[in-house]
Amino acid sequence: MTGSESRRRRTRGYSGLALLRRGVAGGDWPVVWREHDLRRSYDVIIIGGGVHGLATAYYLARNHGITDVAVLDKGYLGGGGSGRNTAILRSNYLTPEGVRFYDRSLELYRGLAAELNFNVMFSRGGHLTLAHSDTSLRTMRWRAEVNKVSGVQSEVIGPEQVSRLVPAVDVSDRPRYPVLGALYHPPGGIVRHDAVVWGYARAADHAGVQLHQGTEVTAIQVEGGRVRGVRTPRGDVAARVVVNATAGWSSQVAALAGIRLPIQTFPLQAAVTEPVKPFLRTVIVSGTLHVYVSQTARGELVFGASVDPFASYSTRGSLEFAEGLARHVLQLMPSLSRLRLLRQWAGLCDMTPDFAPVMGETEVDGFLIDAGWGTYGFKAGPVSGETMAELIATGQTPELIGSFGLQRFRTGALVGEKGAAAVGH
Amino acid sequence: MTRRPWRAVRSTTPRGDPGWRLPPQPGEVIDRSRSFTFSWNGRPCSAYEGDTIASALAASGVRVFSRSFKYHRPRGLLTASFHDPGCMVQVGDEPNVRGAHRRAEPGMRVSAQDAWPSLALDVKAANALVRRAIPAGFYYKTVIRPQRLWPAYERVLERFAHGGVVPDSPEYDVSDRFDQRHAHPDVLVAGGGPAGIAAALSASRAGARVMLVEEEADLGGHLRWGGAEQLARLVELRRQVADSDVEVLLDACVLGRYDDNLVSVVHRGLPGIDERLVKARVGTLVVAAGLIERPYVFAGNDVPGVMLSTAVRRLVNVYAVRPGARAVVLTANDEGDAAADDLRRVGVEVVHVEDARSGGDIVRVHGRSRVRGVDLADRRTVACDLVVTATGWTAPVSLLTMAGDRPGYDDAAARFVPGRTSDVVPTGGLVGDGTLDELLAHGAAVGEAAAAGPDHDEREATGAALRPRPHPALFRGRTHGIVDFSEDVSSHDLVAAVDEGYRDVELVKRYTTATMGPAQGKLELVNTVAIVAEATGRSIAQTGTTTWRPPYAPVTLGALAGRPREPRRLSPMHGWHVAHGATPLVAGAWIRPDHYGDPGGEASAVRSSVGIIDVTPIGKLDLHGPDVARLLNLVYVNRWSKLPVGRVRYGVMCAEDGVVLDDGVTGRLGEDHYLMTTTSSGAATVWEWIEGWLQTEHPDWRVHVTPVTTAYASINLAGPRSRDLLSRLVQDIDLAAEAFPYLHVRTGTVAGVEDCVVWRIGFTGELSFEVHVPAGYGLHVWEQLVEQGQDLGVRAFGVEAQRILRLEKGHLIVGQDTDGLTTAEEAALGGLVRVDKQDAVGLPELVVASRQSPRSRLVALVTDDPDLVPAEGGQIVGADGRICGRITSSRLSPTLERSVCLGQLDSALARPGHRVTLRLVDGSTAGAKVAERLAQIDPDGVRLRG
Amino acid sequence: MMLLPCPWCGPRDATEFNFLGESRNRPDPGSVTIEQWRDHLYLRANHAGEVTETWYHRAGCRRHLVVVRDLLSNGVRSARSSYGSSVEASEEPQ
Repeated sequence: MTGSESRRRRTRGYSGLALLRRGVAGGDWPVVWREHDLRRSYDVIIIGGGVHGLATAYYLARNHGITDVAVLDKGYLGGGGSGRNTAILRSNYLTPEGVRFYDRSLELYRGLAAELNFNVMFSRGGHLTLAHSDTSLRTMRWRAEVNKVSGVQSEVIGPEQVSRLVPAVDVSDRPRYPVLGALYHPPGGIVRHDAVVWGYARAADHAGVQLHQGTEVTAIQVEGGRVRGVRTPRGDVAARVVVNATAGWSSQVAALAGIRLPIQTFPLQAAVTEPVKPFLRTVIVSGTLHVYVSQTARGELVFGASVDPFASYSTRGSLEFAEGLARHVLQLMPSLSRLRLLRQWAGLCDMTPDFAPVMGETEVDGFLIDAGWGTYGFKAGPVSGETMAELIATGQTPELIGSFGLQRFRTGALVGEKGAAAVGH
Repeated sequence: MTRRPWRAVRSTTPRGDPGWRLPPQPGEVIDRSRSFTFSWNGRPCSAYEGDTIASALAASGVRVFSRSFKYHRPRGLLTASFHDPGCMVQVGDEPNVRGAHRRAEPGMRVSAQDAWPSLALDVKAANALVRRAIPAGFYYKTVIRPQRLWPAYERVLERFAHGGVVPDSPEYDVSDRFDQRHAHPDVLVAGGGPAGIAAALSASRAGARVMLVEEEADLGGHLRWGGAEQLARLVELRRQVADSDVEVLLDACVLGRYDDNLVSVVHRGLPGIDERLVKARVGTLVVAAGLIERPYVFAGNDVPGVMLSTAVRRLVNVYAVRPGARAVVLTANDEGDAAADDLRRVGVEVVHVEDARSGGDIVRVHGRSRVRGVDLADRRTVACDLVVTATGWTAPVSLLTMAGDRPGYDDAAARFVPGRTSDVVPTGGLVGDGTLDELLAHGAAVGEAAAAGPDHDEREATGAALRPRPHPALFRGRTHGIVDFSEDVSSHDLVAAVDEGYRDVELVKRYTTATMGPAQGKLELVNTVAIVAEATGRSIAQTGTTTWRPPYAPVTLGALAGRPREPRRLSPMHGWHVAHGATPLVAGAWIRPDHYGDPGGEASAVRSSVGIIDVTPIGKLDLHGPDVARLLNLVYVNRWSKLPVGRVRYGVMCAEDGVVLDDGVTGRLGEDHYLMTTTSSGAATVWEWIEGWLQTEHPDWRVHVTPVTTAYASINLAGPRSRDLLSRLVQDIDLAAEAFPYLHVRTGTVAGVEDCVVWRIGFTGELSFEVHVPAGYGLHVWEQLVEQGQDLGVRAFGVEAQRILRLEKGHLIVGQDTDGLTTAEEAALGGLVRVDKQDAVGLPELVVASRQSPRSRLVALVTDDPDLVPAEGGQIVGADGRICGRITSSRLSPTLERSVCLGQLDSALARPGHRVTLRLVDGSTAGAKVAERLAQIDPDGVRLRG
Repeated sequence: MMLLPCPWCGPRDATEFNFLGESRNRPDPGSVTIEQWRDHLYLRANHAGEVTETWYHRAGCRRHLVVVRDLLSNGVRSARSSYGSSVEASEEPQ
């Protein structure tokens, strides 16, 4: 499982030296991943070529030697939530099960560049969640204490320390909702989301997994309570295991297997500004103001907010979002008035009632689910892949995801992450 | 290096050389009678009124405006328009100003953004030397091992971040420089060229309210740099607009089209403000955005002195600037021919015209900081300092695609054309090419149809059709060059990405960052698509295009935010609190007194004598009707059918999933009349929730709900002397314990104010009267209480003292001592729940909860060390180190002279006397035990009932 | 944001309303099993197409409305009073 010492062929080939060599001597880089004909049968089919599906495929091959795997995506790799999120990584969750799970993800992220031989540009500038009320300060303390018990670096800090970390933040009592303190999580940061997708895709391909872009699953064959395979415009494909690793469309895919999910799909909007010289190394989140801000290595500020106020599959975005975002960012950092918004976009988020994912087995044998990722799916990509791969390979649900099963919505054992609902991302 | 590029720059930019400013041109917008200076990199530059920053600099001989992103190559003017990627500059505190668009102003401080130490000598230009080793996406392949080097390398990458500087002091606040406006035009026309003007005029004549939005400072589009006849026509069109009812927004740009034709417009150049955001709900959106000239991709296409034909024509005709001395022109269309004519007319030597329509091509430009010559297709090299390209057009279809239009690729015209599948109507160059009269006719027909309403579609019936003219398909020549000028992405990078396996145009875009920079694809998208198509062996139509996202042009956060407007709710007594030194507490929408300087003393005063607290924010709902009791039975977990008139009861609400939602007391004022209170933060939620039950599940019930939270000012008198105090202000209510017991309600006159509601409850655990006074008299009653209670030692107390008092009494706060999953059982409120009802919100969950033991339970904890106040949110851990609970509330009790705490604890451990371990914030541990009861003061309620 | 044709107030910006989710029938709490109840509480069709929903006109008439909306395009087909078919706004052009 996670600590498997098996030494399979590692993906190599990228390095500064290799760059220099090609710079001097020329020569083409090897193809990042190959294209294949779709076979009639695979051991495992993963629906959804985002970070979750690709990581699952990669760990199946790497940790368990299962390479008869196809990842199917209706569009291009990483074109859904994986390419639309704001790439914030953290593990300062509220529940012990959440902390353990996301901390494993962060651990995998830290080693990912070396593991995949692909620089995913994990910038560990820390993560600040601002508190604007004594209620949120209390929740911050709660989170910090749970984190510390689990060995995760997390501390409640005062306004003057916030100011020291990010001088642009207004910690005076001028704002309508003054900053009373913050939860500071030094291991948090941002990563290059596309690089994570491509890194997993390349490594999975090298390990023997087949990646099929532009291949939509239009039906799932179930016989006698067991999954048999899927239908695509490129033909029917049989499989022992089919994994639903989609986001935005997970209800539709599950419905193909006759399963209803506790999910409602909401757009989540994000935006980016024109680049300016670096002034913000830390990710800033304000639950009260529904905004999070980070600056990329390119100098752009990336903004996100909470999900839209109503369910939709439309990713067109709204003006209200951009206005609210600007209002809230300027409350935090008034000096940014003259910075310009360059582009806004939206992704689809599958929201569950308890702000925790749905992972594991379903009432259809062999049909597994890894969905309901709300606004926190990207952070969980590596650990989701690792645990889903273990589940597929061993038939046993790993303890790390034991609380996230679909069955909890029947037993009422919901996950307590909802207690911190106001402070997402 | 043998050549020193900075020298070359200096030698070709003779400052103040009058030779670069042309004699007066017929269409020029500069006012030669008004000249001034501004500063460029600290040195003065002269300008005329009407000059842009770039035109003034170009007229002074400046050719290098910036350095490119990755390779720090010198960059000059390319389009001489808003989207020119080569002249983004810093103006004072404002980053990324479009120098070819922004009007120069006296005293402006303008500087280049991306050069260090200076524009002429930029040390990062060394990057260009290792250019081949840093292709697009190079960073993904570097510093993989050792990972510990990555943070240092990150700092290096950061130094290359492109763009200007924003002030980072929170004191810097220019929010009053921005503004917003709402508008409701019947027709909004995006683009003030000839077709847009014609559409606006005809829509207006047909009776529509019309808004015409133009990006430039003047109407006219390409007519502005046309010949004498076109300028004459433009004068006439402008006169017609001036005489019409059309509202014209100049220096404004349509940013986005959102659902149901909500259109955002940024309006710049207004007096006193930087930008105004116009939010227009539009009947019909007409897009007359014209065409954007497309750069040509070849080696050296980014050397300063390589310009588009429209850039040359703007500089010459609009700003009277000589763009060069010796020009080579590559033309595939009329605009290129016209540019050559313009150059000749103003005395620029056009040394060669290469006609792409008959197979002509240019291969390579020589030079670094300026053009020195160009290689033609026939292998001749021609010396020149200006290379003009006119190789085709991009249709800016983004507003159409935002409405759902799917543009198609027209092979013959070598450009995308609108798919006409949305309710947004295009006209002008977007649709096709034509003579001025044809453009005007099409615009007029579209405008007239638009005025008739969004459903009126007679566009095709007008006969004024425009079709794109055939045009040679010119994207990349026979060499590789820059495709995305802002991102420094070359065609070689795109091909390499495709060869590496990033074959989808979206993947190429993401991998190389082409189209991701400030121009957002307007100049480079079609070239990107064409080059990917060529590299993948697909057609342009098969390759498709990437999605256009709003905004069409960048807009300041200031304009999007508008003027700050954050309402606050204040009680009628707020002024008194401020005057008496209250420390404000931000409690959601409300600002409340946290304390008046001494919360402990305030709490002690309540225990020993009497205190008064402003509890106006408590949610209050007036319930009228014969079915109120049924409603209460439904929404509360306890039973309400037998509450007599004059009684008050505490109630708990759970949601359908059995989780505690809110609590409060409700009193029965009359036969069919109740007053319900909720928590302050839950006031709006509970009201809407109750309306929901009444409107959707029980529309037959006769209950009228009126929110009266702010109709009453609410004051709680608490303490053993509270009866004495209140009795001094009340005549018509008998306050004696027997006549007015605990949990009873009376209505009457308080301090001369009629129609007050008074009830006896006890959140603080003391004898307590809560008075709800018509809001206008709140301050009067409050001041009377203060005055009449002087001898009793009455003290105003704030939220903090109330928290101490309620904690001593063991009363929970929903949302603090409960969380998003806490059931009534877990909140130690299980005793209230009645499951033998026909219906109640969450009844099936309440039934299940009543049968099984809860996961955790609310308990009072007594710390071994009486002085220890464990932090709220602190964890309770078991012997194995696992979390088994948490502190939800904690304070130092001035009365007990020790700490008091509430906490959630695993129910197996929640037994009186059980010892637990608290994990403190500093990582140390401390002991505590579970108390017998939640209340630490007056557990039997003797004081409360007194 | 999109417009919702409120039968009482006319077309209004969706920001004036609260979205309350898919319209569903509440099972009889007296006879339902806990499993059926939890399916009702948590499971959703989450259909990618036309859906019947409940909205509340918070900044307007404060009435609950039954809205038929296409979740792929946000196009609102109809909006009527939750009291039944007494008041119905005309179909909106897409």
